[in-house]
Amino acid sequence: MSDLTKQTSGEPSTIERVEITVNGQTVQARTDKPLIQACVQAEVEVPHYCYHPGLTPEGSCRICQVEVQQGKMPARVMVACRTPVMPGMVVNTETENAHDARRECLEFLLKNHPLDCPICDKAGECTLQDYSFAEGQGEGRSVEPRRKLEKRKDLGDVILLDQERCILCTRCVRFMEEVPKSPQLCVAGRGSHSTIETWNDTPLSGNYQGNLADVCPVGALTLKSFRFKARVWNLTKTASSCGECSRGCATTVEVLRKGEVTRIRPRHDEDVNGWWICDTGRFALDAFSLADRLVGTLLPSASRGWDATSVEDGLQIASDMLTTGDKPLIIASPWLTQEEGGELLALGQKINAQVAFVSTASNDLADDVLHTGDPGPNRRGLSDLGLKAMTAEEILHTASEHSTVLCIGERVGRLLGEGEAEGFNGLPTGARVLLFDCELPEAPTEGNSPIDIAIGLPSSVERVGHWVNIDGLRRNILQARPAPAGVWNTLRLLKHLHELLTNREVQS
Amino acid sequence: MSHETYLLSRMERGDSHTLAGYEAQGGYAALKKILSEGTPPKDVTDVVKESGLRGRGGAGFPTGLKWSFMPNEEQDSRTRYMAVNADESEPGTCKDRVLMERDPHGLLEGCLIAAWAMSLHGVYIYVRGEYRMSYRRLEEAIQEARAAGLIGKNIQGTDFSCEIHMHKGAGAYICGEETGLMESLEGKRGHPRPKPPFPAGFGLWGQPTTVNNVESIFNVPFILERGADWFKAIGSKKSSGNFLCCISGHVEKPGVYEVPLGTPASTILNEHAGGVWRGHNLRAWIPGGSSTGFLRPEIIDTPMDHESLKEVGSMFGTGAMIILDQTASVVHSALVLMDFYEHESCGQCSQCREGTQWLAQVFQRIHDGQGRMEDIDLLSDISNGMAPGKTICALADAAAIPTHSVIRNFRDELVEYVQAGGHTAVSKKRALPMETV
Repeated sequence: MSDLTKQTSGEPSTIERVEITVNGQTVQARTDKPLIQACVQAEVEVPHYCYHPGLTPEGSCRICQVEVQQGKMPARVMVACRTPVMPGMVVNTETENAHDARRECLEFLLKNHPLDCPICDKAGECTLQDYSFAEGQGEGRSVEPRRKLEKRKDLGDVILLDQERCILCTRCVRFMEEVPKSPQLCVAGRGSHSTIETWNDTPLSGNYQGNLADVCPVGALTLKSFRFKARVWNLTKTASSCGECSRGCATTVEVLRKGEVTRIRPRHDEDVNGWWICDTGRFALDAFSLADRLVGTLLPSASRGWDATSVEDGLQIASDMLTTGDKPLIIASPWLTQEEGGELLALGQKINAQVAFVSTASNDLADDVLHTGDPGPNRRGLSDLGLKAMTAEEILHTASEHSTVLCIGERVGRLLGEGEAEGFNGLPTGARVLLFDCELPEAPTEGNSPIDIAIGLPSSVERVGHWVNIDGLRRNILQARPAPAGVWNTLRLLKHLHELLTNREVQS
Repeated sequence: MSHETYLLSRMERGDSHTLAGYEAQGGYAALKKILSEGTPPKDVTDVVKESGLRGRGGAGFPTGLKWSFMPNEEQDSRTRYMAVNADESEPGTCKDRVLMERDPHGLLEGCLIAAWAMSLHGVYIYVRGEYRMSYRRLEEAIQEARAAGLIGKNIQGTDFSCEIHMHKGAGAYICGEETGLMESLEGKRGHPRPKPPFPAGFGLWGQPTTVNNVESIFNVPFILERGADWFKAIGSKKSSGNFLCCISGHVEKPGVYEVPLGTPASTILNEHAGGVWRGHNLRAWIPGGSSTGFLRPEIIDTPMDHESLKEVGSMFGTGAMIILDQTASVVHSALVLMDFYEHESCGQCSQCREGTQWLAQVFQRIHDGQGRMEDIDLLSDISNGMAPGKTICALADAAAIPTHSVIRNFRDELVEYVQAGGHTAVSKKRALPMETV
């Protein structure tokens, strides 16, 4: 487990709790966390900008004002993010004084804010908007000119900074210091001349820059790749898990009008990823592209092209192939879910096949934050089920002993071509090759197609199931959009195939 | 001027800044007595507590009480520090500078006694960057004292060891705020820290720390030498001792005068500083540095101590009086102050960062003749949004208090500016041409 997840995982048994009252509810509040966390526990929302549960509290935005009464002292308005929890505190977030304090604070924050919400990517999920809506007054009283600063400051490949929108909460500064431990951002200047900057305008580096756009409570730090791509209220959001490494970070997959995945963002999971995700996972949008998808069934035609047919017919042909010849070899992708893996094992037993999955080669992205460097999200789960892990080379070597090879799962075709392995061209000539994948591998440059049948599968944003991550934690993937027409759910497909094979057995 | 002026007493000699000059006038006697008698540290703190010495840096917190907040050494073995706040930058204040330039050993002796009382491992003196002579004099004094076995390991052959280090500020008002000072000493941006944790529990580098003003520490050897009762007998009931009053502005003899706490402001103005200059009338006065606000001339007889000034809605602050005569414009002076606070706000807290700028902008508009009547209420609302106690440190309060004072005490002038159309128009109406401090 990485440092980060260790810090945030589980609750140590020594945590002290005391009883306090929040808006009339009794709460057993942790003494090692600031008061705002006790409010969260009581499901009371306290507006906050500089506070982020995954970062050291700073207490500078001053918006999280709540009224607190302690002992015989008169009730006082104080910031919830820097106030330690004390036994017997009586907290009220809704008193007039607390609202007034927050309203005043908002007026200050909005004084120089450009209010360019109509063209701001953050609009709709901006807490400056939300809290102004909840607390603020309808009109600003400032008649002074607003601060003119850089509106399009380039911070490298990932992030663009709008200094005018910035409210100087310094979450971004603390994020870079505390999470990837790579302090690259700072506050430059003083007072009303403060701006967020990198040293000498050096571009940001590292695999965690995307989180800056998430931690920014306003539209100051935005993802270059998401700029002007979508209005966030048009995105359908689904809780899922990232498949780019065996950490399996909790994500929210955001799909624009049931079409392309437009954004992937981290979702809080204390034991897996905390609040963060790496850029590799965040920007793996191409993996879910709807272009060039394998749909229905394709059979190689005489003219070196493909003939299309339905999945139903395709499975009939597949069942014929799997039952002729000797012991087939089934190669799974580590993107298969536990449920699909189990079904595949049952199917393998039925036809007495050897079942293995592709052990993906480690990449150089491993770090001590989140990325494990192992691109197979369900390696641990499939191994636990009893599937054998084999590298692409080992698989191609073993395949020579088999006359039928079924390759199944998202990206399986691509994985077989990894490293030194030659992919489908490396499979024995004359063997029957069945490919169930989201895409067709690149066409061979000469000769006939080594693939005898190809059937389309849904990608991991189009399926439901579980993956087991590197630490043995079982996590959901959920369907964020329907699979393209003509693509069957993997489980349905496996069950149907299983049925066909059973019927065939009965008939014979 | 019948009172004894002990703080400035040694400075009459030309060599008062040297070890020889200091020792010739009884210097280091209090320290040596404590060391030779092995006075228990707690007793030293108790004497300071008993004397009623209040911090001279602005807040007026009892020094002995502050010392007693340091955790018990037996229960807490962490390294303990004191930081001496010599980043004197409150507008109008220049008293610590006199002490450091002309009697640096007095400060060092105070530091060493404090170090003994609180079992400190080290003392840091944070000197305002512009105070080059203070820095040089202190540096020389430390060298001399070290050579004489008064600083360093085994002071005067005892088990007591203490190092005194110097640090030069880089020109930020906010680094004179105790937690901002500690951040700056640690090499970070001078951003004040939220309290709690308080410095006594979590100070410099996270260790127990006390932050004291130069003048507060400077008083300590006198108290130890002459006793708490002597000290308590000087000054008013709840504010003991003499203080250094820096008086500036439209006076005949601006300067630093030593007077007992509780001396009426009018006495300091008329008897020490020679009165308002050129025989002019008093228009307004600031009692204790720019943050304490503009007061009406009618209350110039107010005793200069914490309680009396609180009663008239102001503060003792650093005891630095600024005098404005009838030619001065309070609105313009307020604008000058607001520009200062805008420039010096560290920018952490939303209310202070935006509020100081906003106040300066509104005052500028009123000054330039673009003021509206509703701006007076707006000024009041902005200040109410900034203070009291709404931000991490008191800089927002320091800008809000003078603003409130202008509205409360000089509303007529604000209205005059709005109605007449700004500074130029108002100066034409006045009998004497307006000048600014």
